[in-house]
Amino acid sequence: MIKVENLTRKFAGVIAVDRACFEVARGDIVGILGPNGAGKTTTLRILSGYLAPTSGEVSIDGLTLGEHSLEIRRRLGYLPEHVPLYPEMRVREYLKFRARLKGVPRSRIRSRLTAVTELCDLQEVAGRIIGQLSQGNRQRVGLADALIHEPQLLILDEPTIGLDPNQIRSIRQTIRNLAGRYTVVLSTHFLAEAEMVCRRVLIMHRGRIVAADTPDQLARLAAGNLCLTLEINAAPDRAETELRALPGIYEVDGGPCRPASGSAGWFVYNLKCAMEPDHRPAIFELIRRQGWLLREMHSERKNLEDVFAALTTAGEEDK
Amino acid sequence: MNACWTVFQRQLLALLRAPATYVISVTFLLVTGFSFCRLTSQTMEERLLPGDLLFGSVFFWLAAIIAMALITMSAFTEEKKSGTLEMLLTAPVTDTQVVMAKYFAALIVFLLICLPTTLYIPLLELVGGWRLMIEPAVLAGGYTALLLIGAAGLACGVCASALTRNQAAAACICFTIVSLFFFVDVFRLLLPPEAALFIEVISPAQHIMDFTQGIFDTRPVIFYISSSVFFLFATVKLLEARHWQ
Repeated sequence: MIKVENLTRKFAGVIAVDRACFEVARGDIVGILGPNGAGKTTTLRILSGYLAPTSGEVSIDGLTLGEHSLEIRRRLGYLPEHVPLYPEMRVREYLKFRARLKGVPRSRIRSRLTAVTELCDLQEVAGRIIGQLSQGNRQRVGLADALIHEPQLLILDEPTIGLDPNQIRSIRQTIRNLAGRYTVVLSTHFLAEAEMVCRRVLIMHRGRIVAADTPDQLARLAAGNLCLTLEINAAPDRAETELRALPGIYEVDGGPCRPASGSAGWFVYNLKCAMEPDHRPAIFELIRRQGWLLREMHSERKNLEDVFAALTTAGEEDK
Repeated sequence: MNACWTVFQRQLLALLRAPATYVISVTFLLVTGFSFCRLTSQTMEERLLPGDLLFGSVFFWLAAIIAMALITMSAFTEEKKSGTLEMLLTAPVTDTQVVMAKYFAALIVFLLICLPTTLYIPLLELVGGWRLMIEPAVLAGGYTALLLIGAAGLACGVCASALTRNQAAAACICFTIVSLFFFVDVFRLLLPPEAALFIEVISPAQHIMDFTQGIFDTRPVIFYISSSVFFLFATVKLLEARHWQ
């Protein structure tokens, strides 16, 4: 659906996007993740046709952006950061204006308005003036606008910025519901959002794409080891020795381990072990065999946040 | 074309909904009404030409220039400031269509603001109970001059609003350029005779005088239309500059 090759964009000597290359398949939900100033918004502005690249090629649905900007704009819905809207217009009036602007046939405008109003949960505010809406509802109006002409591609720049937790959850759910029907490219600051909503993640840093994969795969690549936390009732020294003796366990943290709070005889162990195979059955078997008591065992794998931190601080350390 | 018409309708509606439009309109009518009354009383003593009653006053034209600057000052500044320009220009509409839509919406509003001035003479005749015997061609000539100067001034205003994010700055740029051009006659005495001749050719005061005497010359018409096209072309280029900044 989207093919970006060596995309570079400079602003007055500053390189905002530096030879970025990526592809997005039809129906995919891709998140662009990066710290402030990483080049996410510039990349999305180029994809939306608002800015031209300094060099490089962008093609969407087989059409090159430079030559077929209007045709591409007909096929995409764009939600800029902070959702700029005309404050004096009413929601329904605004969506109708946008539908006409985007070439929705007159006979279909009414049905499209109803569809996006329902999809974005705007029924209650459809008659209200945009200037009086909450940030969450403004965001929904922006999303409805992006969807009004049934685009093949949705470009959403920080779709949940400035929203409260309930609104964030609701917008994320709406975006997830779009999966399959639309190709979605979104940028976000929130790592959890990328993990929850996106099937693929591109991590940008200083204008470059430093990693691109599924959130799970990225986490796996960076994680290497798995952390297991156990809370067992056993003699600390003996338990530590036995646990260390298990194959694949690299480290038992805190030896002697710290006592569990408020319970005599219970101790917490933090184990580091290889990701594969799963060691939990072997640990449980050991505990059962020794006659110890177990009241908690959970694993923590490194998440996207760790990957993000590793990738976006590596450059700082190099400097 | 449909997209252009849609943007034009929205822009026109936005201008008609803005309280500022009505403030501009009332102020313009007050100033022009005052100047009309003053000239009417003078006519009795000084035998002014009938066309001068409306269009012979500096106040009338100053009010018109200020109205041009104020109507167009928000055309792009507001969209840039609020970010709606990004929404607009990522829709399937060309930069030229957006500029034309905004320009014609401003032109329509300007003409609507000027429309009540056509009632001044019939009102005076109704209230005074006597006929002024003004040739329709004289009035038509005066309004043609107003339309042409307005068209060029508004194009200049739209261009100024694409230059900056600040409405006041846009209005000042437009007012300065249009009023410098309008009072270009002042410089005639300072320049060599060849340049003075050129100023006479482009002088709006001269054009207004010709038009209000019923002389219809195509040269000023082409001049003002070309000026409008030049400013609108410059506006499109200013918008396109976002790609290369």
